[in-house]
Amino acid sequence: MTHKTIKATVNGEVYERTIPVCMTLAEFLREELGLTGTKIGCNEGECGACTVIISGKPMNSCLVLAVEADGAEVLTIEGVSQGEKLHPLQQAFLDAGAIQCGFCTPGMVLTAKALIEENPNPTEAEVRKGIEGNICRCTGYNRIIDAIMNEAERVRGDK
Amino acid sequence: MSIYPIGECLPRKDGRAKVTGKSKFGADWNVTGQLYAAVLHSPHGHAKILSVDVSEAKKLPGVRAVLCGACCEVLYGHMLVDQPIFAVNKVRYYGEPVAAVAADDLRTAKEAVRLIKVEYEPLPLVDSIDDALSKKAMVHDDLMAYQALGGVSPVAGTNIVDTYTLKHGDIDEGFKQADVVVENEFYCAMGQHTPLETHVAIADADEHGCHVYTPAQSPFMIRGVLAKAFGYRVDRVRVTCTEIGGGFGCKVEARLEPIAIALSRAARKPVKIENDRGEEFESALCRGPVRFRMKTGATKDGKLVAQHMLIHWDTGAYTTFGPRINFNAGFGANGPYHIPNAFVDSYVVMTNKTLATAYRGFGITEVACAHETQMEALAEKLGMDSLEFRLKNVLRDGMESVTGEIVTSMGGAECLEKAAEGIGWKDKPRRWVTEDGKLRGKGLACYMKLTGTPSTTSAMLRVNDDGTVTLLEGSRELGQGVETALPQIAASVLGMNPERILMSPVDTAFTPYDKTTTASRSTFHGGNAVMLAAKEIIEKLKPLVAKKWKVDLASIVFKDGVFTSKNNNTLTLHMDDIGKSGIMKEEPPVLATGTYGTKALWDAPDKYHQSKRPAAFWMIGAQAAEVEIDPKTGTTKIIRMGAAHDVGKAINPDSCRQQIEGSLVMGVGNAIMEEMIYQDGVLVNGNLVDYKIPTSMDADFEMNIALVEKPDPEGPHGVKGIGEPGLAPTAPSIINAISAACEHRFTTMPVKPEDVLFRGE
Repeated sequence: MTHKTIKATVNGEVYERTIPVCMTLAEFLREELGLTGTKIGCNEGECGACTVIISGKPMNSCLVLAVEADGAEVLTIEGVSQGEKLHPLQQAFLDAGAIQCGFCTPGMVLTAKALIEENPNPTEAEVRKGIEGNICRCTGYNRIIDAIMNEAERVRGDK
Repeated sequence: MSIYPIGECLPRKDGRAKVTGKSKFGADWNVTGQLYAAVLHSPHGHAKILSVDVSEAKKLPGVRAVLCGACCEVLYGHMLVDQPIFAVNKVRYYGEPVAAVAADDLRTAKEAVRLIKVEYEPLPLVDSIDDALSKKAMVHDDLMAYQALGGVSPVAGTNIVDTYTLKHGDIDEGFKQADVVVENEFYCAMGQHTPLETHVAIADADEHGCHVYTPAQSPFMIRGVLAKAFGYRVDRVRVTCTEIGGGFGCKVEARLEPIAIALSRAARKPVKIENDRGEEFESALCRGPVRFRMKTGATKDGKLVAQHMLIHWDTGAYTTFGPRINFNAGFGANGPYHIPNAFVDSYVVMTNKTLATAYRGFGITEVACAHETQMEALAEKLGMDSLEFRLKNVLRDGMESVTGEIVTSMGGAECLEKAAEGIGWKDKPRRWVTEDGKLRGKGLACYMKLTGTPSTTSAMLRVNDDGTVTLLEGSRELGQGVETALPQIAASVLGMNPERILMSPVDTAFTPYDKTTTASRSTFHGGNAVMLAAKEIIEKLKPLVAKKWKVDLASIVFKDGVFTSKNNNTLTLHMDDIGKSGIMKEEPPVLATGTYGTKALWDAPDKYHQSKRPAAFWMIGAQAAEVEIDPKTGTTKIIRMGAAHDVGKAINPDSCRQQIEGSLVMGVGNAIMEEMIYQDGVLVNGNLVDYKIPTSMDADFEMNIALVEKPDPEGPHGVKGIGEPGLAPTAPSIINAISAACEHRFTTMPVKPEDVLFRGE
């Protein structure tokens, strides 16, 4: 099996690892770095549970090879909290009751974070469309949308 | 009178860990030295195994164990012990495990699986309920040869593994009184729970015992099944529960655990096994298909007089919990109505398909589809509004149900009214056409479901040295909020801050016994056990308080979280200050247990399933849907839904509403999207693109939810259950609304765009 050495910045920390070229970023995060907050729900880009932010863009980490993350900056759920304090977006999820089993939550939070950073003034329809690729089987989605709308409002300073 | 913190929308205790990614779900666990497993699945629905050659697989470097049916003849099962870990002699469903490999890493294990050679000889396929009944082929040669563990009644020489008969009144006499009779057939397709987390297990096992890590809904049930299958003493099977990434019933049965144990024993090392999404679809568990043939009669003034239901549940290739679905759904098959003459004739058949199990309600969505189709059809024939028709027949306190019980605490009428109100039922016609040519319709449905009875649970409370309380109870947090609700119930007795009570992780090594996290039973059963334990904690603290204050024990009074002495009113101690007070220092630790079971209140049903009390409690609720059909594409859009459920008492109203909201969207999937499709015995849509479940775009409709509170006298603070109920009437109300909009009676679940477009063809 061919291996390659990569250097990636994950949650602000630099990691240098020699890995098989067929390893996905999701596997790299979970198995090499022990960052199990990134969940694998389908491993084929259909559920969004493994969403991370790569250089500002939300991506299904199961569809990205780890070697493609060479030199990239990756943000996972473990890097979202601000030290011991929750990120306001995480707090918004808690306040809105947007979590049930919690398996989709990390991917959902990262999709939401990228969405608000790109468009801090989204309509409800834009948020709904924005999380379309993240499947949640428990909540019925609407509280997740509420959480994202509330956080966007806070970011804009309306709240 | 309200008792703090009952009825408070407290934030969920597991929220912080879940939103930071710290929660450890099944796949997030690893055990030092573990191997990785991969499974070879059957490519056929029904075939004889002529040979299995594992020699090449065994030679691959890094492979530590290879097993197939010939070298591992263990059978297991929850009701009938009929399921091999690996197929023996023949395969009975597409996806059935045939062999498995444990290797140093997953890639090696998968590579080794590709090297296993199996020769098959296809057998005639039992592909449908009719195939099973016609005995075209036998899924099992002799069902009677298997050990039956109870609650299952196989019929010799058939593909029928269970029968259920409910008889109330005289069905023939009943139909003689009927002025109108409607007959319909209804078919529910096969669907899947599709939790985001697939099945996963780690086992560390030898011949003396095993330690399994698994996202189990029913760890104690799984413990029992594993002990029996492998001949372990029960206490030597340890089930450590991981967080569960969604269950909905599919994590109630042992599934990957037996494979992991068998491989671990063979390799003498821990083994981890995880389904990928394709494996999850083809070989995990599903909601089996079911067919109803219904005949219902009413008088011309709209009173139900008789109903006959012929039901065939397809449980797939092995028995699993099929008979339990038959039993539970049989009691609810007539709906929440007063019907003086009723007959349910119900069977569980076996086919060459993947295995059916509990799906958020044990068949109750499906029976609601059947009886609610009938109610709409009868109301239409009688020219009555279907809400009025239902209200005329819904069970009210003091009436006799079809199970022969005089019912009490029935919130059905109120639920119907409020659900209908949620879509503005009374102000809308049954159907209309919008200005842009879309078809709108409204539909209604209700349901009634029992909780599994008898069943038992136990809880332990421990007061820690700082006065916080640790709660041990076996109910599993599936997202429904039990880890928050049970501490709220404990706090209501202890009078303390609920933030100071935490529930322990569940592990059969130290958690007191609980039967299962199913049937919406946890708050009711767990809550009762917790209340008993909490009362005992108070009694155990009283002597310590008396000792500290140097007063008579008899003078100590406890009320609303505060200890006082009748002898000296300056002495007070709040439960939240117990730790600081020092009263427990060097005293024997304060802990208490509460045990609860429903056997004593249960009246064992007779052979016709008549009983004065077949269930500890009943759940009842209703939903109304307004839908819009695009006649050009056949697509259905949900406009709004009204939902009202009798929760008895909402311990945490926000949690209750969340259960209903999630159920509404899951129910949209059931109603118009989800179907597992088999062609020639092969599952052809086993992935999340071809098996569509609702996304955020499918949830864009108005939800008006009402919680009805008719307290149950046996429930803690009056509690009933709300985990499953929201799903039950969702699909039938939507299907009824589509039927109204299209002026066509749809009799399948789901109703897909092609069904709408080609209706009547």
